[in-house]
Amino acid sequence: MSELQQRRVAAGAGLGLEIDRDRPLAFTFNGKAYQGYAGDTLASALLANGVDVVNRSFKYSRPRGVVAAGAEEPNAIVQLGASEATQTPNVRATQQALYEGLTARSTNGWPDAQRDMMSLIGKVGGPFMPVGFYYKTFKAPASMWLTYEKMIRKAAGLGRAPSEGDPDIYDHVHRHCDVLVIGSGPTGLFAALTAAKSGARVILCDEQERFGGSARDSDETLDGVPAPHWVAQIVERLAAMDNVTLLVRTTANGYFDHNFVTLHERRTEHLGDSAAMTGGRRQARSRLHRVRARHVVLATGAHERPLVYAGNDVPGNLLAGAVSSWIRRQAVRPGERLVLSTTNDTAYRAALDWQAAGGEVVAIADARANPEGAMVERARAAGMRIIAGSAVIEATTDRKGHRVNGARVAAVDIAGHRIDGSIETLVCDTVASSGGYSPVVHLAAHTGVRPVWRDDILGFVPGQTVAPVKGFHPVGAAAGVYSLGMAFDAIAEHLPAALAADGIALAPSAPPQLETLAQGEAVGLYHVPHDKPTMRAPKQFVDLQNDVTAAAIELATIEGFESIEHVKRYTAMGFGTDQGKLGNINGMAIAARCLGQTIPETGTTVFRPNYTPVNFGAIVGRHCGELFDPERYTAMHQWHVEQGAAFEDVGQWKRPWYYPRQKASGERETMHEAVARECRAVREQVGVLDASTLGKIDIQGPDAREFLGRIYTNGWEKLAVGKARYGLMCKDDGMVMDDGVTTCLADNHFLMTTTTGGAAAILEWLEIWHQTEWPELEVYFTSVTDHWATMTLTGPEARNLLSELTDIDLDREAFKFMEWREGTVAGVPARIYRISFTGELSFEINVQANYAMPVWEALFAHGDQYGLTPYGTETMHVLRAEKGFIIVGQDTDGSMTPEDLGMQWCVGYNKPYPWIGKRALTRSDTRREDRKQLVGLKPLDAEVVLEEGAQIVLDPKQAIPMRMVGHVTSSYYSPTLDHGFALAVVKGGHKRLGERVYLPMADGVTHVAEVVSSIFFDPKGQRQNL
Amino acid sequence: MTRVAYFDPHPAPTVPRQSPLHHMAEIAPTGDVAVTLREHAFRDHLNLRGEPGVLASAVESVTGLALPLEPQQVVFGDGTSLQWLSPDEWLLIVPGGEGFRLQRELRKALGDAHFSIVDVSGGQTLLSLEGEEAISVLMKSTVYDVDPRHFPVGKGVTSVFAKANAIIRRVDDTRWELVVRRSFADYCLRWLLDAGEEFGIAFQRAEHEVDAREAAPAGEAEMTT
Repeated sequence: MSELQQRRVAAGAGLGLEIDRDRPLAFTFNGKAYQGYAGDTLASALLANGVDVVNRSFKYSRPRGVVAAGAEEPNAIVQLGASEATQTPNVRATQQALYEGLTARSTNGWPDAQRDMMSLIGKVGGPFMPVGFYYKTFKAPASMWLTYEKMIRKAAGLGRAPSEGDPDIYDHVHRHCDVLVIGSGPTGLFAALTAAKSGARVILCDEQERFGGSARDSDETLDGVPAPHWVAQIVERLAAMDNVTLLVRTTANGYFDHNFVTLHERRTEHLGDSAAMTGGRRQARSRLHRVRARHVVLATGAHERPLVYAGNDVPGNLLAGAVSSWIRRQAVRPGERLVLSTTNDTAYRAALDWQAAGGEVVAIADARANPEGAMVERARAAGMRIIAGSAVIEATTDRKGHRVNGARVAAVDIAGHRIDGSIETLVCDTVASSGGYSPVVHLAAHTGVRPVWRDDILGFVPGQTVAPVKGFHPVGAAAGVYSLGMAFDAIAEHLPAALAADGIALAPSAPPQLETLAQGEAVGLYHVPHDKPTMRAPKQFVDLQNDVTAAAIELATIEGFESIEHVKRYTAMGFGTDQGKLGNINGMAIAARCLGQTIPETGTTVFRPNYTPVNFGAIVGRHCGELFDPERYTAMHQWHVEQGAAFEDVGQWKRPWYYPRQKASGERETMHEAVARECRAVREQVGVLDASTLGKIDIQGPDAREFLGRIYTNGWEKLAVGKARYGLMCKDDGMVMDDGVTTCLADNHFLMTTTTGGAAAILEWLEIWHQTEWPELEVYFTSVTDHWATMTLTGPEARNLLSELTDIDLDREAFKFMEWREGTVAGVPARIYRISFTGELSFEINVQANYAMPVWEALFAHGDQYGLTPYGTETMHVLRAEKGFIIVGQDTDGSMTPEDLGMQWCVGYNKPYPWIGKRALTRSDTRREDRKQLVGLKPLDAEVVLEEGAQIVLDPKQAIPMRMVGHVTSSYYSPTLDHGFALAVVKGGHKRLGERVYLPMADGVTHVAEVVSSIFFDPKGQRQNL
Repeated sequence: MTRVAYFDPHPAPTVPRQSPLHHMAEIAPTGDVAVTLREHAFRDHLNLRGEPGVLASAVESVTGLALPLEPQQVVFGDGTSLQWLSPDEWLLIVPGGEGFRLQRELRKALGDAHFSIVDVSGGQTLLSLEGEEAISVLMKSTVYDVDPRHFPVGKGVTSVFAKANAIIRRVDDTRWELVVRRSFADYCLRWLLDAGEEFGIAFQRAEHEVDAREAAPAGEAEMTT
């Protein structure tokens, strides 16, 4: 173990409020062992141990240290995880609680951040790596870019994904509330309490390790108690209310329409391996809360802006507010001698806390000519040296660049952007800076409302432009209200009124009492001038994570990039894991100055979700593995599984595709062999198909028949009770959308079948037409798809087999083709439909699904002597295609009319009521004779099975691009015909029977096929009428 | 003429039957159990459609349950329930084997009116979810707001459930029911067991209710002239 926490200061009033010195925790960083305390973040623990260099920068490989104490941290980005499977990339050390055994590495730097090889390139190449370096250098040859890109990405670092499966799980929770409060600083707490006291459903979330926000390290008092105590009191009251949900370590990452907000809760990241396990995994390592709120209170506070000066990236350059946070929360004073450079009063707290923690404050450089205010007075009273009208223009460093060793301070002329007078060099090891505060407007911007600049607070605030988002309430610093008293008053006044409009009555809430400090006015300074011109001065960093300098922005504007969006993309400002939280406003201000315009004229780039990176696990939740998508099963599914069926996905259904058997040789049949066997069984003996997935809709009512006539293309007025009919449905554009057999069960009662994939959509289609166009028709629809299990028994032996099991008279005259009967099969009440999709003698047995298995098993118990063979969807496809039966969605694509399919026989041109799609069939386009029409194709070579989708040409010798006249829609080998065959659509195909067409393939082979009738087998349909 | 064809789908009690979840093993975790999931299989489910004015009195006289007229209402009886599904649609769940008799009586009581009654018993199954964490399991499963302030006892909705749909209804303070489609039952059950793992979840088959199948007469078609 290294020196023990040399930068941890001894306990004292207001020091280390959040650490427990009795609970030391061991951790390793870059392979080296350290110790911290419970209550530390990884960042504060590293600082306590004097670890200055935590990473290497993106482009120049410069040593970098911790800068901030929150989500805005650009440098301390680590790779977390003790084992390969638990690796988590790009964790902000400032937001990672320390736990026993924590193992982290820098994301960048090789062999490590202390001794980085890439920095040689950065040092040598630095001056030669201007903005757009990669674009300019690696632009030719273009074909090499993919290679360059890989190298550049590797050099650029950032974390890596784990290469092993994640043992933990992530999940989603849906939440609803009246008021979602984002941020638990004093304003967020007060807003939450105001809403919760009246019984409203409240969710309060905060991205930090504990509630309190700025009050965690404030030395002010609220309601007469120190701010941290006040926080504890309010949180305790909220926790006791059952209408309040408190979510700590929970970042609001996306704010979407209708006040839908995604919260990312890190549930076990602070516990590491000590997290509780259930079922061998951490139960929801992190959780995505999908919150639908009626009102959103945005109390996200503000981020402090650093000043942009030369050498401002060297470790030891810190945000002023972060210095206070570490001292007061974790008793870490990250240096000995401090120089503070500020534009405002608030930052003085860093100097006061530094001194209270035993450090030396060398000087405070205040950019204001006449600093005044309560904090300034306290600094003066403490004997601190205040250099008015000046700023740190450069932080100097040791040779390695590992730590600040001095600050060059000069008077600055802000308006003239130049230094004024002599430069004083102060010896120090720490420079803290504050250029003011930027309200955290990111979430507000997600709604599409652009932030608005306010000169009085020198920052962007959430816009409330033409159409304000209903129920959106930015409060406190997030709304640019930095006075806590004014923020409380605004909440007390406006929140009850806003909620009252939604019927949520809030009792008036008295704002907390607080002492008011006299505040001096801040001054706007973003880019501190240097004694050299920007282009020649030592690097002045704007965006630390992406190594974007003030000079780069200046150069970008000189090179013609005027839109801030273009400047962003050219320089990479605001990319990366921190999304410009620290640097963007400074960068925009610099671009504005270079372009000679105001900041509002320059505008901001667009902030998009997510606010901070979210791991993929949390986004996916439990929708992975076996829960990725529903698998729909029929009542016979387990039987299919036990038979070793191969399955095909049809919609969400798992349907048996084919049933491979063990051959005499011991090998399993190939698909081709299994399908050939199944096809022969159906054509020669008998097969059975699980057809339960077909959509089934029960239709009842006196107008059921009339309704069918309007929905289907063909006629239904004459279909007698007991009979079934094939029907074709068109959309209103005249194109075929579905087909199936519908049966007349009784005068007012029909059973419609639909395609497997179309079932839900067709039910909706029927309801839409009934509810919106023909509400006068008396008819009701009910889905019975899942209620009936359907078994298709088909083949010459079907009758013989079924007659052993049923009390229904199966005689060909007593029970004709296209009729249905009711009776029992294997003792189970059943409806049998004599319809055929194979062209063979067929009986479709339907029973209540709970009784399907005894019937199915009875068929097999009696089936041996008839050669009963189960067959799957592939055999079904071959058999139906031999008969020229179409599959909607395979042989049609939404552009085929019934006439294109040669199904004029299924169109009732003279029906009394104009069915859906009829008028479209009279359009000139649908009357064209050269439309693509369904035909059969017979390859001249019997062994050729054409490729589905293959394009058809008439002249194989024409030059490419050839004129394509159609394509293959279905193609199989037919064991019955011992020949390949296909269905295809060909322009004017119905008049081309007997012609030859050509199918040039990608491999250079051209197949030749003859255009034939689409019915290949039993054209007169005798076999189904046996 | 025969207006509607319907029949008793139940065979003799000697014929075995399978619920949509017959293949899933019961689960009894060793640790704490904060949620118990039960399948109440083999009940009869009837889908009723019609104008409330047409159905109300006949339904009440035949089933003893008042037709819920307010949206999202469900009323519970002894082993029975009647739920509003849409402005002209209700779900009646009764003990297994009683569906056919009730349908016959309802049709008789409703006479020539325009309505529809459809037996959907084979197409869906009833699950109950009971225990202090039942609501947490539901919050992980449905986008619908199941908070007691918004979802009082006696409310029932049809909503998104994981990536499927389900009917969700509240029987009492800690007991909820789900009606899931047969084909989605396996998926829904796996989802529930996974969502309940962190709390401790048990899966049981409810004791089969008294089988009323023997009492029902053989199949017949309603004949009206």
